[in-house]
Amino acid sequence: MLISLKWLNEHVDIADITPDAIAQKLTMAGLEVEGIEEKHPAFSGVIVARVVDIEVHSDANRLLLCQIFTGTETVPVVCGADNIAAGSVVPLANVGATLPGREKIGASSIRGVVSHGMLCSEEELGIGSDNSGIMLLPENLPLGRELAEVLNLGDTTLNVSITPNRADCYSIIGIAREVAALFDRPLKEVSCELKQVESHIAEFASVKIDAPHLCPRYSAMMIAGVKIGQSPLWMRQRLEAVGIRAISNVVDVTNYVMMEMGQPLHAFDYELLAGGKIIVRSSQDGEKFVSLDGKERILRKEILMICDAEKPVAIAGIMGGDNSEICPETKTVLLESAYFNPVSIRKSARYLGMGTDASLRFEKGIDPNGVLTALKRAAYLIAQTAGGVIYNGCIDEYPQRVEVAQGIQLRENKMASLIGMVIPQEEVMRIFTSLGMECSRIKEGFLVNPPSYRVDITREADLIEEVVRIYGYDRVATTLPTFAAAVALPSGREKVEEVVSDVFSGYGYSQILTFSFINPKAVDLLNLPLADERRNFVVLRNPLVEDHGVMRTTLVYSALQTLRNNVYSGNTDLKLFEIGRVFFSKGIAELPREENRLCAVVCGMAFGQNCHFGKSPAGYYDVKGAVEGLFSALSLRNVSWRGEVTEPFLHPYRSAGIFVDEQKVGFIGELHPEVLARFDLNVVPTVLECSLDLLTELVQDTKKTIKALPKFPSSYRDVSFLVEEAVTFFAIEGYIAAANEQLLEKTTVFDVFRGKGVAAGKKSMAVRFVYRSSEKTLTEEEIKEAHERVLKALVQNSGAELRG
Amino acid sequence: MMAVSNLSSDVIPDSVMKANIAEIERVSLREVADVTDMAGLQGLRLKYLGRKGVVTALLREVSQQPPESRAQWGKSCNELKNRIETALEERSSVILASGASASLLKQAIDVTLPGRTLPRGGIHPIVKVSNEICTIFTSMGFSIADGPEVETDSYNFSSLNIPKDHSSRDMQDTFYVTDDVVLRTHTSPVQIRVMEGTNPPLRIISPGRVYRPDWDITHSPMFHQIEGFVVDIGVTFGDLKGVLLLFLQKIFGEDTILRFRPSFFPFTEPSAEVDIQCGICHGSGCRSCSHSGWLEILGCGMIDPAVFANVGYDYDKFSGFAFGVGVERVVMLKYGVSDIRHFFENDVRFLEQF
Repeated sequence: MLISLKWLNEHVDIADITPDAIAQKLTMAGLEVEGIEEKHPAFSGVIVARVVDIEVHSDANRLLLCQIFTGTETVPVVCGADNIAAGSVVPLANVGATLPGREKIGASSIRGVVSHGMLCSEEELGIGSDNSGIMLLPENLPLGRELAEVLNLGDTTLNVSITPNRADCYSIIGIAREVAALFDRPLKEVSCELKQVESHIAEFASVKIDAPHLCPRYSAMMIAGVKIGQSPLWMRQRLEAVGIRAISNVVDVTNYVMMEMGQPLHAFDYELLAGGKIIVRSSQDGEKFVSLDGKERILRKEILMICDAEKPVAIAGIMGGDNSEICPETKTVLLESAYFNPVSIRKSARYLGMGTDASLRFEKGIDPNGVLTALKRAAYLIAQTAGGVIYNGCIDEYPQRVEVAQGIQLRENKMASLIGMVIPQEEVMRIFTSLGMECSRIKEGFLVNPPSYRVDITREADLIEEVVRIYGYDRVATTLPTFAAAVALPSGREKVEEVVSDVFSGYGYSQILTFSFINPKAVDLLNLPLADERRNFVVLRNPLVEDHGVMRTTLVYSALQTLRNNVYSGNTDLKLFEIGRVFFSKGIAELPREENRLCAVVCGMAFGQNCHFGKSPAGYYDVKGAVEGLFSALSLRNVSWRGEVTEPFLHPYRSAGIFVDEQKVGFIGELHPEVLARFDLNVVPTVLECSLDLLTELVQDTKKTIKALPKFPSSYRDVSFLVEEAVTFFAIEGYIAAANEQLLEKTTVFDVFRGKGVAAGKKSMAVRFVYRSSEKTLTEEEIKEAHERVLKALVQNSGAELRG
Repeated sequence: MMAVSNLSSDVIPDSVMKANIAEIERVSLREVADVTDMAGLQGLRLKYLGRKGVVTALLREVSQQPPESRAQWGKSCNELKNRIETALEERSSVILASGASASLLKQAIDVTLPGRTLPRGGIHPIVKVSNEICTIFTSMGFSIADGPEVETDSYNFSSLNIPKDHSSRDMQDTFYVTDDVVLRTHTSPVQIRVMEGTNPPLRIISPGRVYRPDWDITHSPMFHQIEGFVVDIGVTFGDLKGVLLLFLQKIFGEDTILRFRPSFFPFTEPSAEVDIQCGICHGSGCRSCSHSGWLEILGCGMIDPAVFANVGYDYDKFSGFAFGVGVERVVMLKYGVSDIRHFFENDVRFLEQF
């Protein structure tokens, strides 16, 4: 909210305080000042002058040659306007003056007559929109003085950010009250002397409230004989300073009082109110209403409407109707000041999509006791600026009292134990008094009555905050809590996540974080069948973009997008991993199931562009290697990689399901060529997705026990053999295991070869067999026997053909 | 030729002995200095210090001298021997270090070629800083708690004293799944979930993803928060200040200056916004702090009695504080990142810099 310091100065004397000092204090009291702006008039070198004489220009009868007295001399000025006469006091832009959007004023000769400057309209000065003629100034202004100075133009505004609880601060007076408390200064009274005529409002108008729960209070006054026109310059300047556009005197007054006091007001053209009646009622479903911005609004039940005897004339607290608004012909004004139910106004404004300055204040809660004060102030200002007479009396229907919290206890002990220090009694009393709160001592502490505008103060905690806020947060001693010693150990999943991060970053993977929402079309791109669980989306009602329509059920899609974006940016050798959640809908009655997962993608060269490595494309075995590293770090054994368990978006013969203890924990594989094309990728990524929640469960009971180092040496035998392409290494391991050879310690495959010398459909494998006994050094003979037993099992079961 | 060859087995006059020693020293040291390989060096060692070497021969001569001069010349000869020895040693290391040995030269490598390094991976900056923050708090005895990211309206709002149709909801725009289910807008619902199931004392930290529909250079529809809270008997606002001071000085440096500014959050009272003094201008105001001299870093406060009431805690017995810090904001300030969107675009050229 913008606060004009000149306006503020009318309510509390701040002339001797710098804007920075005010901003600093307000900020440190919870009213953050986000900006300070000095506004200067857009002109300079313009003085107050008087027209001495006017004659028609000798050479152009549409121009006037004026003799202008500047206070010290009389100079000729040529002028084209016709609203001035001898004696008019006018703004004179001297030679050398600057006006907004124009070149510097120079002495000129207009059709042979010398002109020493220029007389200005409001528009030319940039202080108003009036361009109908020269701006006429009050006749008592001192001649020769700078116009900006005598009109008191220029202002400084503070942009104050107001927290939702401080409804009372949405006004100049609200801020003035804070400034008064913070600088220990009195508030100034605003003048509001009403001269009312004998005619009583009750003879002309009546108010009936049909929905007192939505409208607890409605008051009205009438001003007759007004003349609609422009409001005075000072009022327009004030409104402009706080960001409100001037419209006409009566409407400007309602805005002015709202900005000043925080009470929204509405002015009706009384002549347009059928029967002179105001009826406050709830709307009906489907009711239509044209608001004064010319838009037709379709209403629903429970929207509070202001009606006359025949029709709705305003949406209460939000906007008036075009059927009763103030127009140039308006003679009699019915002025409304009311208290509307905050929740109801909020709901209606939201429903209609109409947040207005008025609705903003009503929904936060205005001062129920300020309704009449503002009404009178506005009536007074309308009479001042638009003429007219104020009818006697006012209507004040107040069927349902608005509760104002009173008698709130503040226990000194509670306050001290909550903030950690004792603030002296006198200081506490002084703070409450400065905030306009009545405060008295009781045995336990204080009894406080907050003013009716402080709708946010209802409890002890609120009082404590007020005391500390004004006392100063910076004055509260900084301490450290006395914790009992405790050691918090990370939970299972945190540990697993830590290991995942260590292992994958160690293997050269960069961690990525991608949005948890994806485009629902992702599942089509990934070929997922209709019954796939991953189509069971949690759908967002209000996504920002279609690409964020649903919560993701797989991490693969986002990872592939990240990979693609990187490839397009020229980052070709990629190893990426993400730890994130997936979400599966369980229907509207339940929260979705959330699962933590790991995803990894690779493409390009496994070791980047390094001169020591050959061209080694990253693929299945790179990712598998990282997962094996992970499982080893987590001490997960009994792992199997099952080629027959695949995913519809993976290459059917280059992918596998990952199983630990017979439980599927994830999948790994090269992207299916079809899917590749859909992602518009010219590289072949390999992806991994794995449930961290499942790994966490599986890992829990695994404890590492370190084995003693072997005492006796081992021996190895290398064997190469041919097998059918379809025989997997997993199968070979099985066949070897079938031999149940106690001396065989380890089997490793160190080469797989296809091509020259190997028949099509076959592959050559080279395997190293390591033999060791834990009891003695094996003899050649013993090793030979054991090796023969192993090979026999291998050859018999796999059909392997030994190659020398 | 050399003076030594003129020696007889008779008594040698002192002047001759002196000249001999000087001559042997001059010649031998010159030869050692001129030799360029280890083989030559070995030859010189034999020539002077070997069993049939020049110095060895001289020593034998000295032993034939009368006892009165024997001691003195013996000493001089031994000193000569030591000097040649030292010269040989020094020369030997020079020859070795120069690598001038022809056979080794053939084995030379280009030591300036890049190393056989595997491409370095890394932890995402958000996770890195989040872990850093969690470690600071776990070292103070905080435990880590977790909660769902798709959350009920009740946990995300109502239980935190943010009723439906209340203007305090405007502080957080929200992604909705249904009327009663939202993407959590903050990590604060974890407060409720933990307090509902546990009695004080509590010291909890809860990192995680949160969601709000804003998307520009400083807002992301998904971002990360860390919630922290403490409930016990006698926890004070001063304690809150102390814990956060400790935390922020660990993250931003020991000379970090803090400011606690009153603010409003529905679930804390009193509430505060914490600013750190701008590290670029040190408080005098510059572009990066919008000329305020301060940078907003987190929100905090004493847990509101309404929140305690919602979880059945006795406000008269217990007190507590809570805070929530945006991890992206911390990373942006710490590393001078100006656009939040970089974090989720995941260009590896960005990620590799952390």
